Amino acid sequence: MGDLGKIHQLIIPFFGHDITLNLEVILMTWIVFAILFALGFLTVRKKGLYPKAMQMFGEFYVGQFYGLTEDALDRKMAKTYGPLICALFMFLVLSNWLGIFPHLEEPTKDLNTPLSLGIMGFFIAHYAGIRSKGFKAYASEYFQPMFFMMPLNVIGELAKIVSISFRLFGNIMGGSIIILVVSHLTYSFVLPPILNAFFGLFVGTIQAFVFTMLTVVYISVQVK
Amino acid sequence: MDTDVQTIIRGAAFLGAAMSMGLGAVGAAIGEGYTAAQANDAVSRKPEASGDILKNMLVGQAVAESAAIFALVIAILLLFLDVPVHNVLEGAALLAAGLCMGAGAVGSGIGSGFPGGQACQGISRQPSVMSRLTTNMLIGSAVCQTPAIFSMVVALMLIFMDFGSLPVGPTWAALIGAGLSTGLAAIGSGYGGGLAAGASCEGISRQPETVGNVTTVMLVGQAVAQTPSIFGLLVSFVLIFKAFPASSMLHAAIALLSAGLCMGFGGIGPGIGNGKAAEGAVRWVARNVAFSGDLMRIMLVGQAVSQSTAIYAMVVALVLIFVV
Amino acid sequence: MALEGADIIKAAAFLGAGLSMGLGAIGPGVGEGMVAAKACEAIGKNPREAGLLTRTMLVGQAVSESTGIYSLVIALLLLFVV
Repeated sequence: MGDLGKIHQLIIPFFGHDITLNLEVILMTWIVFAILFALGFLTVRKKGLYPKAMQMFGEFYVGQFYGLTEDALDRKMAKTYGPLICALFMFLVLSNWLGIFPHLEEPTKDLNTPLSLGIMGFFIAHYAGIRSKGFKAYASEYFQPMFFMMPLNVIGELAKIVSISFRLFGNIMGGSIIILVVSHLTYSFVLPPILNAFFGLFVGTIQAFVFTMLTVVYISVQVK
Repeated sequence: MDTDVQTIIRGAAFLGAAMSMGLGAVGAAIGEGYTAAQANDAVSRKPEASGDILKNMLVGQAVAESAAIFALVIAILLLFLDVPVHNVLEGAALLAAGLCMGAGAVGSGIGSGFPGGQACQGISRQPSVMSRLTTNMLIGSAVCQTPAIFSMVVALMLIFMDFGSLPVGPTWAALIGAGLSTGLAAIGSGYGGGLAAGASCEGISRQPETVGNVTTVMLVGQAVAQTPSIFGLLVSFVLIFKAFPASSMLHAAIALLSAGLCMGFGGIGPGIGNGKAAEGAVRWVARNVAFSGDLMRIMLVGQAVSQSTAIYAMVVALVLIFVV
Repeated sequence: MALEGADIIKAAAFLGAGLSMGLGAIGPGVGEGMVAAKACEAIGKNPREAGLLTRTMLVGQAVSESTGIYSLVIALLLLFVV
């Protein structure tokens, strides 16, 4: 239990500051990338009018998430942001499921991954808002409904990043800690795998979906 | 009083265990009771479906139980775990862990009862969508458990992290404040998330074809309703991980304790309010699917304004930690 | 811990600030949520009036916010002025 919070880090000194890399998380993220590339490659290998299994799955998946994006944004914007949403969900689901395999852990267990995805979503949403409404209309929104609400509106926007990232991080890290503690307490064979399935598969999928949906919704709120 | 450190710590651990299980039992019991009450009503309306309703009720109650089980795990850890003893801070940490998990389990327990109850009612109304109702009940209850999971994470951190090197001075208050911040803020979020999940089960039973939109709006609404508990988690992390300079002044300690209380209580109201907003939106998406986009937007705007008092509370808490 | 007068006063001020903002945030949170819920219901019944209903909701929420702002003011006074 002593090494509950230990993270192997690689610290590179760089012009007076240190660059800190969390080695395990980077390795796990690369593994997720490799799986995603492999899946993508297998899906588009044999394109035909009569779809085979992988292609059918790919078309179904993309159709679902494009539909979700179109519901929130209009058709033209959905073409721009649809691929982002599909990729985001697939990355998150695979990351959250990676913990099921022994010796592998979820990259989303480290705060850096969800936080960076949240900041990315924030910048994309605001960029989309500025591009579609123009800078004046975008800036004037912060002063509604009353003039002095400006700092509170800004804090509210920043709070959105915190909430979306910490929710994913808290759920995934919490699940893994609970499994670790329960395995330490009970000497059971049956209980930890059940918990693992619940937290890893079920909660992981739902939280990935919630993160993706919230990103789409934030983009649509900025654009309208 | 010449009691040694070991005794104080064991006493604090026992008290923490008691608070954890005592408070944790409250929420789950109320939630499961609500589910059973609705199940009874549903069976009276349609006795032929009693087998399915009973099965659904038990499954729903099992998920509502999980918050209480988290509290039980923390309580057992507090009773039996031998922590390395350095100073009295361990006692504060263990007590804080108990308070955190206990309070955190209340909201999620009550909240998880709503989808179970509404699902049972829905089965009596529309037996053909039973599998979909069960799925939504499970999804809604599981997301509703998130604030309890946050409380458990903070409680486990408080139990297992080594505070031996920190000054007793203001840190005892920081640890108790950290426990209260997440624990109390989770009450509102759990309850609110449960309201939204209950409305989704009700909506699906009335209009089964709107399942997709209803589930989406429910998940988004619940996610925003959990934001106050996330603010509480953030303040807890700051209180646990920030190194405070040693001080024997009372006001330094009270400032940190007060920061925890501020964020904790401040999260209750907005959590419940956001949940009510989500409940209204979900219920009316089911009745008027064509405007689900507009409804979700108005829900988000309303929730964002309702969130503002939680933001005020977080600002005051952070000011108490960093400025004063 | 040597408890002096000034120390106790500051401690009490901090505790008061936290409790003031914390408890004061409960009411507006619940109230504004109820407003938002009813606004969703109203728009569900009458989607054409969405603009008017949104504006009414925001005005209502702003009024309901006022006690929350009073608590914030008291908290800030306790922290920085007293």
